[in-house]
Amino acid sequence: MVLKVTRRDVIKVGAAAGVLTAASSLFVGRMNTIRAVGAPKPDLQLTPVEEWVPTTCWIGKQDCGMLARKIDGRVVKFEGHPANPRNQGTLCPKGQGQIAALYDPNRVKTPLIRTNAKGVQGDFRSATWDEALGLVADRMNEVRKRDPRLLIWQKGRSKAKAFYDTAFVNASGATKLHHGAFCSDAGYRALEYTVGTHAVMNPDFKHTNYLLAWGWNITNAGGNKTCWLTWNQQLGEAKERGIKVVAIDPRARPAGPFADEWVPIKPGTDLALALALCNLVIKSGTIDEPYLKEFTNSAYLVKEDGTFLRKREGDDAKEQVWDEASTGPMDFGKIGNQPALTGEYTVDGEKVKPAYQMFKDHVAQYTAEWAADKCGINVKQILQIAKDLADNANIGATHIVDGVEIPYRPVAIMTYHISQTELGFQQVRAQTMLMMLMGAMGAVGGTMSDFTWKIHKNFEGLDNIKITDEPNVYLKNSKFYPINSNNSSVVAQVMSDPDSKANYGVDYTPEVCIIHMANPMTSFLSQKDIYDGYMKYKFVAVIDPWLSHTADLFADVVLPAATLEKYEGPVSATDQYIGAQTLRVPPMDPLFESRGDIQIYLDLCERAGILLGEGGYLDEINKKLKIDDENKIPIDRKPSGERELFDRWAKSEGYEKGVEFFETESVNVTGPVSPTKRYGYVTEPPFGGAIHRLYGESLMGYQEQMKALDVEKIYYQDYTAFPTWRDLTMEKSPAEYDMTLISYHMIEFKQSRTSMVGVLAELAPKQRADINPAKAKEMGFENGEEVIVESHNSVTGETRRITVPLHFTEALRPDTLAIPHHYGEIARHPNSTGQGATPNALFFTGKGYTANTADQSFHVKVRLLKA
Amino acid sequence: MPKYGMTIDLDRCTGCRACMVACKIENNTSQTAFWMYVFRLEEGTFPDAKVSFLPRPCQHCDNAPCVKVCPVGARYKREDGIVATDWDRCIGCRYCEVACPYGVNYFNYKDPKKSQYLDWEDPDVKPVIAGAVPSWANPSLNEKYGSENRSIAGSNHIKGVMEKCTFCVQRVEKDMLPACVDTCPTHAIQFGDLDDPDSAPSVAARAKKGFKLLEERNTQPSVTYLGSPFSSGAREIERPSVKE
Repeated sequence: MVLKVTRRDVIKVGAAAGVLTAASSLFVGRMNTIRAVGAPKPDLQLTPVEEWVPTTCWIGKQDCGMLARKIDGRVVKFEGHPANPRNQGTLCPKGQGQIAALYDPNRVKTPLIRTNAKGVQGDFRSATWDEALGLVADRMNEVRKRDPRLLIWQKGRSKAKAFYDTAFVNASGATKLHHGAFCSDAGYRALEYTVGTHAVMNPDFKHTNYLLAWGWNITNAGGNKTCWLTWNQQLGEAKERGIKVVAIDPRARPAGPFADEWVPIKPGTDLALALALCNLVIKSGTIDEPYLKEFTNSAYLVKEDGTFLRKREGDDAKEQVWDEASTGPMDFGKIGNQPALTGEYTVDGEKVKPAYQMFKDHVAQYTAEWAADKCGINVKQILQIAKDLADNANIGATHIVDGVEIPYRPVAIMTYHISQTELGFQQVRAQTMLMMLMGAMGAVGGTMSDFTWKIHKNFEGLDNIKITDEPNVYLKNSKFYPINSNNSSVVAQVMSDPDSKANYGVDYTPEVCIIHMANPMTSFLSQKDIYDGYMKYKFVAVIDPWLSHTADLFADVVLPAATLEKYEGPVSATDQYIGAQTLRVPPMDPLFESRGDIQIYLDLCERAGILLGEGGYLDEINKKLKIDDENKIPIDRKPSGERELFDRWAKSEGYEKGVEFFETESVNVTGPVSPTKRYGYVTEPPFGGAIHRLYGESLMGYQEQMKALDVEKIYYQDYTAFPTWRDLTMEKSPAEYDMTLISYHMIEFKQSRTSMVGVLAELAPKQRADINPAKAKEMGFENGEEVIVESHNSVTGETRRITVPLHFTEALRPDTLAIPHHYGEIARHPNSTGQGATPNALFFTGKGYTANTADQSFHVKVRLLKA
Repeated sequence: MPKYGMTIDLDRCTGCRACMVACKIENNTSQTAFWMYVFRLEEGTFPDAKVSFLPRPCQHCDNAPCVKVCPVGARYKREDGIVATDWDRCIGCRYCEVACPYGVNYFNYKDPKKSQYLDWEDPDVKPVIAGAVPSWANPSLNEKYGSENRSIAGSNHIKGVMEKCTFCVQRVEKDMLPACVDTCPTHAIQFGDLDDPDSAPSVAARAKKGFKLLEERNTQPSVTYLGSPFSSGAREIERPSVKE
């Protein structure tokens, strides 16, 4: 590390002096005269000026800190910023490769206006910003006047804090569509409902000793909070500390050498395994009774009708527990009571049981042998996991972190994108409950969720949904999906249904859509539904640096966005243990005629007349950024640009130098995250006051309402108080569809904007379908052979096909076909043309392929045919 | 005078190939040339399949066979341990490529500026990047290095010469780490002075059992691998579009 330290020291000196961008700083040096190759060319006999300026990565998920090396103003390289806790001076392949995207001649250079019909490859003419913005503003305002519901705003993953997105949605009245139903939102809903946190499940890497790494993320995508790069740094350190990692995934490739044990589970059966582990853990007595009694509804008495026994006092209905001391019912949480977790009691002639007793009875049917059969794995592995959980859970132990004594349960689950399955919501609920049984949620070494233990408004919200007969276009609060993750493919199905009023209760069809940095045609599914639905829009505006496949087919106007050459933020730079904040600052002006995203909204809102005044865009930004009165953005004039907004925000946050702080020092490291913010047990109040829901009383209530509203069983069957296994709908496909297709992420790429980056595309140049060699040979296929993959919808009978070459790997279940979810994203780009089809062309949305929370399933039965 | 060398901890490598990309950007290597290459390997059969990774830079051998066969002294061993290629002097005979057991040499069959991923002649882009090819062209590669003052840095120079990993001599001479080391997200690769017991590779090598590639050839590599060795039966998976 000698050389590294040298460079870090140099950077620290530079940062302290606040001269990173000044022309005479330590980072600016005169280099030796360039020696021209061959015949000397006079124009190359220059003495170039070298600068290193701070910025942040744009291409990946967690906006790592970077230094841009500039030569005479031209950015030639990005390197990790050493002071940023998230990446500690390093970058992933995408971070390194984004330099090849920055000056890409195939970026959208000017605003474009479509000149041909939609649904086919677009013909576009260049336009001025004035003309393009005027067109978008006019179309937007025309529908807003008639009915604001006709305006849709959609974004993929927002970079940095999404304040300017929300401000636009609020100021314009648009309906916002998310990407989450294609990511991990079933898991988010499960955690929000069960424990109240707005995140999925992550280990406490510094302390976890036993990790169930569920799904394909582990070394290929990282966790949902600490993303890939930070994740692997902490995983590497944890391995050296001795953490045991069990990879539960149909593929061995994602965990690779980091797995101590591979459990090659059959796709979509994860709920069965989680339920069996709950059963085994209960049987082994590895139960944290004090936690279950005090912080969960395990002791609540449940009546025979499935609702809690409550005692009504005025307006208050207090849940009852069985007090073992007084042998009678008592209010939950009353000091001094000893609530029973088990048994059966009679109160006022009514038979009641503690919720925990009911759960114990419920999971007794899910034996290890049963799960081994469902999941297609060895029963010994299941028993071993249960034993290892019991051996590592350390029930009753505590650990002192920074002087705070906290329960110590060093067992954890990582679950992230694996939540997007037909049974995803209940699967992640069961995984959460497995950790709850051992008291591991929010314990030291246990299962973490968000960076800090905060309770999301959905903890209450999802428990109190009012089902409506007239839902909006994504069927919010509908009888189909009472809990609803906002799925664009469901929207597309509703929009393309000529009888959407009768079938869904939706009596309008959105007309104008603004698509910002999203590419539904390739990164969402099902592709055919998206196509049919998006053809219904009368006007589509796309904000993007490249011509996405979606823009090529549907955009009336394309507004060229900058990549990282803009201000954006604020960005958390925490690695989960150290707090830090940064801001994206541009290493250069936006290229060509592109503009920063925030600048585009300022300009668009100005044209649409929604920039100024109360409730206008600027007013909403003030609210979303919580800017103090002294620094508030004036709402009676257009600000000078993005920089002014952030300058005011930074000053409001206490940065005396304003935005210049980030332009010079890049990152503000605030020090260790307090254990009283991080670990649920020791927040004030513990777990933010949320009583964890082992028993989902309201879920059962939704099922009853759905039945009363006469929806089909396929919609209501998974609204059950406890996660309950049922056979997957896709398994009803005919036997010749003998493989399950899954998709996965490759570390070379980010979902929908990297496979055209030459230095990344070169690493994985073509789409491929991973297959077990024995299975392929049994069917008469060779490695590299092009085959037709045909998917089958067991509900509608529809089939879909793509052609793709096979890629042999032994690290895959023989009954599973695995295709990366990349490629085909950017239209007519020389580096991405001919790469092959996305597996999203094979998946389905709708009955049987969408979870009960409107979350997308990425599983379907397929067969292979000779091409 | 330092004696530069590297350790690569296979227990820390996730096979992400960030090092491959960092090398390409720093050294401006042409398409399909990977001075740093990460093998993704698989061995065994389902369900006992195992996956492993092997980063492979030039081994900068102390007893370098490539140096011995170079007829014009273009390939030479520097005092600091770097095995360098003077592209000004190279005649493109490719003897070094034949002699090297590690496959680290890449020959410029065509003008390397014509294999740089995109059309850098684009009229909107060319003025912005001052005619650089590729846009990330690194001017440090055109300087001369070492007390010998020779043209040994980087790629993208001329057709008909041999090129390979230089341990990023243009960075090392400025007290910076090689690009692959600098970017490695898990700090699996360490670089420094092997004669200094406190240098990162010296410390890493003492902490873990190590091995060298093809030790039996007596090439005496400056690169030491730490951690679990891969088995000889391992097969390569997920090959990029490498040179034919």
